[in-house]
Parts: sequence; structure tokens; C-alpha cells
Amino acid sequence: MILPKRVHHSISKRKLKTKKFSAGKTIYAGEHARLKGLLSELGKVRDDLANKIHKQMDELRSKNVQLKNVANKQLKSDEEIHIRTLAMESTADGIFIINAQKPEFPVIYANQAFHTMTGYLKREITGQNYFSVYGNEADNRVIDEIKHTIRQGRTFHGEMISFQKNGKKYWNLLRIAPVRNAIGTATHYIGIQTDITAMRAKEIEIDEQREELLHVTRVGKLAEFVSSLAHEINQPLTAILSYTQAAQRMFAGREPELQEILSYIVHDDQRAAEVIQRLRSLLKKSKSEIKTIDMNALINETMELIATDATVKSVFLKAELENGLPLIQGDRIQLQQVLLNLISNSFDAMDNNRGAREIMIRTTRKDTGTIVVSVKDTGCGIAAEDIPKIFTHFYTSKPDGLGMGLSISSSIVDSHGGRLYVENNPDRGATFYFTVPITKGDAS
Amino acid sequence: MKERGPLIYVVDDDASVRRAVSLLLRAHGYSVESFPCAEDFLSFKHPKVPSCLVLDIKLPDIDGLALQEAMTARQLSIPIVFITGHGDVPMSVKGMKAGAVDFLQKPFTAKKLLEAVTIAVSKNKIQNKESAEIAALRRRLKTLTPRELEVFRLVAQGMLSKQIAYKRGTSLQTIKVHRGRVMQKMQAKTVTELIHFAQKTGVTPPKS
Repeated sequence: MILPKRVHHSISKRKLKTKKFSAGKTIYAGEHARLKGLLSELGKVRDDLANKIHKQMDELRSKNVQLKNVANKQLKSDEEIHIRTLAMESTADGIFIINAQKPEFPVIYANQAFHTMTGYLKREITGQNYFSVYGNEADNRVIDEIKHTIRQGRTFHGEMISFQKNGKKYWNLLRIAPVRNAIGTATHYIGIQTDITAMRAKEIEIDEQREELLHVTRVGKLAEFVSSLAHEINQPLTAILSYTQAAQRMFAGREPELQEILSYIVHDDQRAAEVIQRLRSLLKKSKSEIKTIDMNALINETMELIATDATVKSVFLKAELENGLPLIQGDRIQLQQVLLNLISNSFDAMDNNRGAREIMIRTTRKDTGTIVVSVKDTGCGIAAEDIPKIFTHFYTSKPDGLGMGLSISSSIVDSHGGRLYVENNPDRGATFYFTVPITKGDAS
Repeated sequence: MKERGPLIYVVDDDASVRRAVSLLLRAHGYSVESFPCAEDFLSFKHPKVPSCLVLDIKLPDIDGLALQEAMTARQLSIPIVFITGHGDVPMSVKGMKAGAVDFLQKPFTAKKLLEAVTIAVSKNKIQNKESAEIAALRRRLKTLTPRELEVFRLVAQGMLSKQIAYKRGTSLQTIKVHRGRVMQKMQAKTVTELIHFAQKTGVTPPKS
């Protein structure tokens, strides 16, 4: 900017000098004309020069602006890269980049979380084959699937058991996607992995609990079934035995053939009774384990067990549990069985619901000595004439029902010193209630 | 009172069981009354003969154990033989504690039933004899004059005639006459027996 200014200045000085010269001396006419021509030429040159300089100045100016923009851009992108790198290093998910153009798939970048998760140091991973970081024990089928998927340039999403450097097992939720260049070649892969071991453990725990409960419920149903059946069959067996032994007495000392037949009947009657007795002792109800129980905690636990089923069946499961309920004495598994039975009945009752499917579980304190638990649904309700029958053995309204669920629930609640009953809701659906006595000494 | 054979009550809601068990007991010489529910049994007018109740533990109206309690409340003391198709052990323990004679699992043999019934009937005979004796003693007690009753109480408490005379401010002779009348009216042969009678009729508190 300084240079063009100086040029301009000296030109205008020269112009002034010329004027002084023409005014101060007497000059011949011919000489005058020549000078005049020279002057005009000079003016032209000067103008040309000025134009050129202006043009260059403009160019320089725009170049300067361009340069500035480039510099700014560079600065900005440096900052962005810095933030991105920082962010990648900060996340708890493991992030890594693989070079796809080399056959051994070397890892070219891995964030801190990835190192922590795999147990390898940066220098132990960088440049190494990606597939070696999950340990030799890692499921080869999954590894092959990942290789296959990414070779085809598709994205991988899956779970696999992986092993840290020290052999420690973890559940790995893995997503890998190709990074493509301008012409669409996958030059790199970016992967994200999450350690879901804790989540998995919780899932497994819930599955196991549910399995145990289902088993207990199945055994309980069978035992109750056999017990009822045994009773039903024992009645006629009793009658047959007594009739026969009465006849034996009446014909005592007479009719030897008839006596023989009667003794056979007695024998076979007792044989049948023994079969039933054996069957019953085989399925003896396991002794209940009475412990101190927090009913609200038990309900929360049960809701966790059935949460997946509720989601699958689009049921909205809610709870309103009274705070600070006193503790009760009872068998945790048995009470959970009652809750699950009531909830799954509600599921069934709402199977054909068009509207909202909702289950509300409430706990309240009825009086100083009793807790009431209620399970309310928006299902089809229960026909008034059926209400007295639903708690009896073998009564069912379901095509595939055994008719044992509510009768077992009822006997469990009975054995806890409570009562199980039902009411239809004024709008729709039904509410089952059961009471449990509060542990003495805790009824504050 | 004319001596009659023992009477067995059978209470079971299963008609077939009821009929068969009744038939069996009759075949063994017992008189039998049978009922399908507890209420029918309770409203029956029970004759004063040695009896026994063969009772199904699960009944349609009230269960067997509740009937047992209702009988105790009505002072209907008939020994019970429980029968059950459930084999419910805790229930049986409770029943036994409340005075059931036996607890038979269905189906039971004639032998087992008859044994239990025999025991129950003889237990009831003893009970009846006891209560008849107490009733007789109470009747005798009512024939005593107030003065005699007082002497009876003091003698039963172990006081000597001399002490009673001193306490009452009467002559020993008078007390001896009263005591003689008490012995005679209560039909006691010895003083020991008299003391025993006093306990049975509640004149003195029973021996702990």
C-alpha cells in the first residue's frame, strides 16, 4: 500500500516542475512544439503507469483478502479437529479407525476408552491387526461375520463376547461402518464399541429369576393339580373300600368265592390309593421360606421381571406404592407368584382391548394390621355370575387354562393370613385385591 | 336309664362315602346317623348314648375344625375321628390338639376305622360316666342346707371338726352332726371321698 502512494507523489511533483520551466524561460517556437509533444507523451505514459498500478493494487487487495480467508479457515478447522479429537477421547465408548487398504486391517487410531476396554496400550494396538484385539477365545463366527460384512463395504452391528489382554471376559456391543473417499472406495472403517457386561448380567439375572419363578409356578400348579385330583379320586376309592369291607363283614364265613372277589377289590383299591399317595409325595409342596419382606420392593422386583412381557403386549404397567409401609412376614417366591399370576391374568383380560391397556398396582395400608395390594386392569372384567367360581380348582375362562392360577394364589394368600378377592371396576376391567397382615411389632 | 348301643355320626359331603362308611359301621353292629354338612349335624337332637363322630375335615358349610370348635362351644362332647382326602398334616396336628381321637387318610381300611371308632366310643363312655357322676353329685349338693354346705366346704378345705366348732362358736357335737348329714346326703363313704366330691362339684377349687 505504501509503495503505490510514493509513486503517485513523485509524478505530481514532476508535473509541477514542468509547469515552472515553461513559465520561467523564453523558448523558440520549434522547440516549443517539440516540448509540447514530449509533454503529452509523458502524460500518456504517466496515465498508463497509474492504471497499471491501480490494477495491481486491486489484485493485491483481493489476494490479501483471499489469504486472510484461507488463514481463518485453517484456524477454524484446526479448532474443529481439536474438539473432535477431544470428544472422541472423552467418550466412554471405544472408538477406533482401521486402515482398510492394507490386508491386515491395522488399527490406525483408537481412543482412550478403547484402550481401557481392551486392556491394551496405545503402542500395542496402533498398527496391529484389528481382529487380534478381542483375544483368541473370541467367537470366531462373529469375527468372520464382521470380516465378511466390512469387506463388502456394509456396516456391522452386533454383540460378541470379547476378551481383554489379561483374559477378562466382557460383552461387547460393536458397530463398524466404512469410511469412503471421493470415488466411493472404503479406505477406512470406523468402529464404536460399548461394554455391556453389566447390562447383560442384569438381563441374565432377571431371566434366571423369571425362570425360577416359572419353575416354581409350574411345580406349584402341578402339585395343586395332583392334590385336587388325588382328593377327587380318593373319595370314590374310600366309598369302594368301605362298601367292599362292609360286604366282607356281611358275608363273613359264607360264600368263599365272593369273599375271594371282595378281597381282590380291597387289594386293588389300596393299590390305586398307593399310586396316588406316591404321586402326591413326589410333588410335595416345598416348604415355604418365611422371611421379612418389604412389599413395595417385592412389587418393584416383580414389575422388572414382567417388564419385557408388558412391552411386547403393549401394556402400560404403573405402580402407586404407599411410602413407608411396614414390613410383612412371608414367602418371597410365593407372594411373587401371586403378583405375577394376577398381572398375567390382567394381560390376558386385555388381549382384545382396542383402547388403552393399563395395569395399575397399588399398595395401601388398610388399618393398623393389614396391607392391601391391588392389581387393576382395563380388561374385559369378570361376569358377575363367575366371580364366586374363579377361585376354585379347575375353573377357567381361558381356552388353554388349567384353572389353577387363582386357586393357588388364593391358597398362598390364605396361608399368609390374608384374603384374595376381586371387584369389577365401575368403568371397565377388574381389580384384584389381596391383604397381608403386618408383622407384629412393626405395626407402628 | 336304659343302656343302648353306641351311636356313630358320619358327616361327609360326598354321598357315596357317607353311604359306604355308614354301611360298613352298621355291618359291625353300630347305629349310624349321617349328615352331608355340619349344620345338619349340629341341629340334630343328640341322644345321650356313647357316641363318636366320623368327620370329613373339608365340608361345604364350615370346615371340620370349625365344627369341632362349635361343638366345644355347645358343650357337645363327642370324640371326633377326622377323615380326609387331602392328608393335610398341619391341619391334623391342630385337630389332634383340639381333642380329635384319630386322623384317617382316605381311603382307610375297615380295621383302622373300627379301631378309631372303638377308642372314641370308649372315651365317650368315660366322658359320659364322668359327667353323669358330676350331675348326680350336683343333685345331691342341692339337698344340703346352707349350714351343711358351709361345713362341707370347711371339711373339704381340711379343717378338723374341732376347728370348725371353734370358728363357728358352736359345740363340737353340733358340727359332728352336720358332718354326718353331709356325708350321708353326698353319699360319701370316707372323708377322702367327700373331699374328692367337693372338687368335682366345684365346692372347692380342683386340684392343680
